[in-house]
Amino acid sequence: MNNTDFQIAICGSAGDGTIAAGDVMKRAMARAGFKVIAFDIYPPEIRGFGKCIARIRVTTEQVYSLKHHSDILVSLNDSHAIPHVPEVGRYGAVIYDQSAIAAVAEGEHISGHVQPDHLPYSLPLREISEQTTGSARSRNIVVLGYVAGLYDLPKDAFHDIIQEKFGRKAASIVESNIKAFEAGYALGADTFKLDFIQVGKPADKVNGNQVVMMTGNAAVVRGSLDAGLDAYFGYPITPATSIMEMLATELPKRGGRLLQTEDEIAALAATVGAGYAGARAATATSGPGLALMVEMLGLGVMAEVPSVIFVSQRGGPSTGMPTKTEQSDLHLAVFGGAGDCQRIVMAPTNVEGAYRCAGKAFEMAEKYQTPVIVLLDLYLSNRYETVILPKVNPFEPDSSKGRSASDPNKPYQRFAATDDHISPRAVPGEDGAIHTVTGLEHNELGRPNDQPDNHVRMSDKRHLKLQQALSHPGITIHKRFGDEGPVDVGILGWGSTFGEILEAMFLAREEGIRCSAMKAVMLSPLPVEPIKAFFDDCGAVLVPELNYEGQFANLVMSQIGRPVTRLNRVPGVPMKVSDILDEIRMLAERNRAVAAE
Amino acid sequence: MAASQHYVIIGNGVAGNEAASCLRAQDKDSRITLITAGRLLFYNRYELPRIFHEECDWRDFLVHEPEYYADNHIDVRRNSFVTSVDSAGKTLTLAHKESLAYDQLLVASGGGSYLPEELVESRHLLDHFNTYRAARKVEQSLPPGGRVVMLGGDVLGLDLARNLVWEDYKVTLVAADQTFWPHRPDEETRAKFLKVLEDMGMEIIDGVRPIRVEEGGKGMSARKVVLQDGRELFADVVMPFYGLSPSVDFMLGSGVDIERGLLVNPQLRTTDSSIWAAGDVCQIWSAEENSYRFYYGWKNVKHMGEIAARNMMGEDVEVDTHPDEGLRVNDKGELDSPFWEYD
Repeated sequence: MNNTDFQIAICGSAGDGTIAAGDVMKRAMARAGFKVIAFDIYPPEIRGFGKCIARIRVTTEQVYSLKHHSDILVSLNDSHAIPHVPEVGRYGAVIYDQSAIAAVAEGEHISGHVQPDHLPYSLPLREISEQTTGSARSRNIVVLGYVAGLYDLPKDAFHDIIQEKFGRKAASIVESNIKAFEAGYALGADTFKLDFIQVGKPADKVNGNQVVMMTGNAAVVRGSLDAGLDAYFGYPITPATSIMEMLATELPKRGGRLLQTEDEIAALAATVGAGYAGARAATATSGPGLALMVEMLGLGVMAEVPSVIFVSQRGGPSTGMPTKTEQSDLHLAVFGGAGDCQRIVMAPTNVEGAYRCAGKAFEMAEKYQTPVIVLLDLYLSNRYETVILPKVNPFEPDSSKGRSASDPNKPYQRFAATDDHISPRAVPGEDGAIHTVTGLEHNELGRPNDQPDNHVRMSDKRHLKLQQALSHPGITIHKRFGDEGPVDVGILGWGSTFGEILEAMFLAREEGIRCSAMKAVMLSPLPVEPIKAFFDDCGAVLVPELNYEGQFANLVMSQIGRPVTRLNRVPGVPMKVSDILDEIRMLAERNRAVAAE
Repeated sequence: MAASQHYVIIGNGVAGNEAASCLRAQDKDSRITLITAGRLLFYNRYELPRIFHEECDWRDFLVHEPEYYADNHIDVRRNSFVTSVDSAGKTLTLAHKESLAYDQLLVASGGGSYLPEELVESRHLLDHFNTYRAARKVEQSLPPGGRVVMLGGDVLGLDLARNLVWEDYKVTLVAADQTFWPHRPDEETRAKFLKVLEDMGMEIIDGVRPIRVEEGGKGMSARKVVLQDGRELFADVVMPFYGLSPSVDFMLGSGVDIERGLLVNPQLRTTDSSIWAAGDVCQIWSAEENSYRFYYGWKNVKHMGEIAARNMMGEDVEVDTHPDEGLRVNDKGELDSPFWEYD
């Protein structure tokens, strides 16, 4: 059986149907049983002439990131697609409309930019669209049909998805899109194929478990709902808004409540309030929103109130780059706020991880009585992956250490000292559980108290209880991949960049470089001992991340006390696998040179 | 040498690529753009018969690796069709409505297969062997030991025919006036050459014209050739080889003189001082014959590419109009031709 592994990039202008074509493609391939990972890039403008790119990687086996090189580039707008021609790999296909609407100046047609090691496919997309549907608007579906015909992709799956996607509009729209697809398909099937893309059979279904395709944000929603989310408060912000949009539909169906607040401060305030009242509550935002939330975050830490905050990072600082990805809110997530304000911070590395982290965040928030931040980024929030969800709900519906754990012979102490530093928690309305909650430092009863020994004791309590999160059941907080034992190069990563790290590591191993990759999902508290052990095995440790300052490298170095090699990029798009691979090669070479001396 | 130029070459065959190579060798700075309707880089069509006996794909036929073009700064515009040339404005227009300015233009667009009028309606049932795609289709249509009916039999076709015979395919040649084209042997020599072909293993049918080609019918060979005398020939593949027709449509209206091909002087310059032509597309003035004539074959065409390039850069050299182009019978008793030699 041929293993399928190809990546298509569809590039056009807003309004060309670029993202829609990508959406049909990825859903159809997932429907057919292939593994899919997809990521769209779109302009900050709601609609206009900005560039849109939909990239979809289709595989038989599970993969961890998009490829640096696409095998197929489809241009729906040459001026936008031309800069992306170099991303097409050797003997990859460049597919474009053969004719412009009007005369174009020299160099403005993509055919002049197709490189010698590419294969050009010049098609009458506009004409076919006009002939089959009466308008040029279906060029995107024509080209989709062409790709399906050329590579013999499962036609029925495309029909199903087109039906589902456009079925809510009008029957005539479905019909015209099917016609456009069929016309493209016929042309593709009749085209002499020169490239070497092979499409095999999809992998067998996973027994019992559910294979679905979803975005990181959708996984967060699914995880939250499975964990029993009761209340959500939020203020829209790219790229987190879709979490609220999806919950607005789904949460009321399950008896939950969703409120759009006036701003992010209110959103977290309401979340903390709901958490105080015993509800499983959450909010979602991006870096600028988190900056506004830090005051309430501090209250949650001090008052030991559970809350879950999903933060999808984008390019910063300030309003920065709303539609570009970055990993530059790590410092804010881990350290932001007044005082010693440690909280739990987790960063999933893929969509399935986003599901698990989301659900576990509620367990942890409740169990350790603290705010929990789940740190995503635009790349992870918006990218689609086929994931396997467990058949049985993996989340505990109630992990709270309730008031029943307190000493019945004493007055209720909301902040009682205990062996595990977690106090029995009552919620308002419980009989006999009168207590005080304040943002001021307080004693066991919750009453303000700024005595030195009390502050030391309470600071200990707030920090030490979080260490238990490092052994929280049912979640992987760190994991090592690749070669075991001593290696030349170790790559330590976090968040969405870990997919590219894994790809680079596999490629490096194919070149004979001994290397391992470790992901840290739990960033606060940091799993120091496992990371130290990883350092012990590595000749050099590389930390690639999408920020300028090397925020994770800073965090690791401050807690591990060992040097790392930083690899920082801030292009607003996912890190290139080739950049990581180059760095691995360089470090391996340096290790060899040092060993030879 | 003139200041930095933009040399535009239409055609991706031997002539065009030889010209590009010569231009770059002597002019490191000027811009070179090569335009072709095909999707592949320059490949050796003479080697296409290899597909009958080798596991290979189109990459095995490339004359240069893709890096060659990048290294030599030669832009190759593939899948691009020139629709018109404006010699006064020194621009050409591509089918996708892009205009391209040039300083010197070399037309090396070659020729397409000529098809007699009576076979035009059957053309969808005919196969060619002039591109990788066409060759691959023939190879896929031919079962082991399958039969090919070759109509006409110009020297390009005869080169293929002998390869097919060597690969144990059955070849029936329906001879015509264009058999041995571009040579025009006298009656006696023609008969002798046909006998040689027969001795090489081909079935020869002479003196009767094909009038149409049909589907072979259920349970029969894929194709049926109906001859003027009512005979029917069955084959897996039918291929016409009646000589070449220069590809010059896009040059109509350009202002340069055209007869069948572009008319050029021995320096390969057309009637426009900035437009040159080389290869199968041009008719070269022969003072001896007092007429314009075509020159074919890899070596001739390659030579033309070099001459055109040198003259485009300001030299004044003439193309050799006395090439060795005679058909002959070699030591093995087989028909042979300088047209079939290439490097």
